[in-house]
Amino acid sequence: MSSKKKVITLRSSDGEIFEVEEAVALEWLTIKPLVESGCTDAIPLPQVTGNILAKVIEYCKKHIGASESEDRKILYELESWDADFIKVDQGTLFDLIRAADYLTIKTLFEFTCQTVADTIKHKTIEEVRHIFRESNDFTPEEEKEIRGKSWWLQGL
Amino acid sequence: MESLPVEVIGNILSQLKAARDVVIASATCRKWREACRYHLRALSFDSSDWPDLTTSRLEILITQTIFQTHGLQALSISMEDAEELSASLVIAWLMYTKDTLRELCYNVRTHPNINILERCGRQRLEVLSLAHTVITGVEPSYQKFPYLRSLSLSHVSLSALDLSLLLLICPRIESLGLINADIALSDTQATMELISASLKELHVEAISLDKLVVEADNLQKLRLRDCSLEMFEHIGKGGLRVFKMDDVSILHLDIGENTEDLEVVDVQHFTVMWPKFYNMISKSSKLRTLRLWGLTLADQMEGMDLETISACFPHVSHLALEFDLADSILDHCLQGSSRLENVLVLELGWSVLTNRFMVWVAGLLERCPNLKKLLICVSASEANLEEEYEMIADMHTAMIPLMRKHTQVDVQFKYE
Repeated sequence: MSSKKKVITLRSSDGEIFEVEEAVALEWLTIKPLVESGCTDAIPLPQVTGNILAKVIEYCKKHIGASESEDRKILYELESWDADFIKVDQGTLFDLIRAADYLTIKTLFEFTCQTVADTIKHKTIEEVRHIFRESNDFTPEEEKEIRGKSWWLQGL
Repeated sequence: MESLPVEVIGNILSQLKAARDVVIASATCRKWREACRYHLRALSFDSSDWPDLTTSRLEILITQTIFQTHGLQALSISMEDAEELSASLVIAWLMYTKDTLRELCYNVRTHPNINILERCGRQRLEVLSLAHTVITGVEPSYQKFPYLRSLSLSHVSLSALDLSLLLLICPRIESLGLINADIALSDTQATMELISASLKELHVEAISLDKLVVEADNLQKLRLRDCSLEMFEHIGKGGLRVFKMDDVSILHLDIGENTEDLEVVDVQHFTVMWPKFYNMISKSSKLRTLRLWGLTLADQMEGMDLETISACFPHVSHLALEFDLADSILDHCLQGSSRLENVLVLELGWSVLTNRFMVWVAGLLERCPNLKKLLICVSASEANLEEEYEMIADMHTAMIPLMRKHTQVDVQFKYE
């Protein structure tokens, strides 16, 4: 039955081949025009590796049609599925963000960005630097300017 | 985050919203600071985040943070706990962001009071939410909100005339919320009229008026909550899909004659003249959800029975009933034998618990052959605790054989 549905072939940067239903591929705005033009060749995605592409497809398959549901039970289940899906290391999370950005998949992009944003909330500057392994690279002038505002950064 | 483009970091920081977190993020490293300056789209200030700051320091903080951004699209300023802010500063913030702002949430008291509509009209605003402010005078000749889709007024004082004019200058408004608004009627005007051709959703809460008339041809969702009205009338071409009413007292209720498209009727804590109410919704054959919760029924019961519900609303899949199950009402409701084939979810409760509640549950289970889920809402009153607990225990015991008989039904209890 499902074989009747049109399938789109994708090739990851490391040469892996993936097949997705057309309805899923149409949500990826970057490749939408290609899909609509009836392209039958494998679409190359040189910026996305196979393991990340597999995750992206997994997410989109789960979400297609379900996000718009008004059924609270479906939405609740989807939420807990999402929470499990996003339990990945920071590198994978950033790879997912880049893939969602590159492929223009709005739902996945917003969700992954929100996940990163949630880890920043209620933290101190040092904690944020530690989590994201960012180093303090301000020039002395910038540092001075930031310190000038220290009265409202105090205790934050 | 080195590998992420600065625009993407801007998007991540925009999801933080709270200025406190954005300020922290921008002090982390240069790239994040750049993202905050040039790619931040949303920012939200809440006075409760800075309980120790004086008002003037709060003003400096907001000013510095806003003036560092370029291209803010959503701004929320909620100064619930703060003193009055300087009007000229607030105006400066609004002026600075006005070309790019799409959403504004404004809960600020200023000295002197500023006419907020004057400050944010004629722009690309799509969502405007105002709280704890006074609107004095709407000028249709030069104020316009051509792109506004959603307007919410909470604890706002304005005249009925200004509210009508406000709707007039929002030609694309789809959603209107009036929450605890203080609406002043002039002496000659006994009726508050809301007229909009584009309005799809209306939420009215905590408002007392004599007469409220809503003329909205395209209204799809209507929700009234905690209101006291002598008369409510909706004039439209039909198309109303959702009608919700909670804790409302209305003497004359009229939601129009064209109720064929209603899908959801959810009425809670309402003293209802049932025949009249039933008459109003009886043509709603597309109804999917019918909730009649905490109803006080005036004595006439005509039409308030399962026979009528199954005949008039054959597609109902979610049925919720809670009212005083006096013997006469129970017998009346359960009479007949027609089945509610499409009901999948059934919610039942009581206002006064009697031993006959289980007769009611058993009767309904028989009538809903395809039921998937039964939710019993258990509410205990303060008085007669012991007696009531005993009855609740009896009810649980009586449920067991019913659950054995109807094994396809998932039974849940909810305690309130």
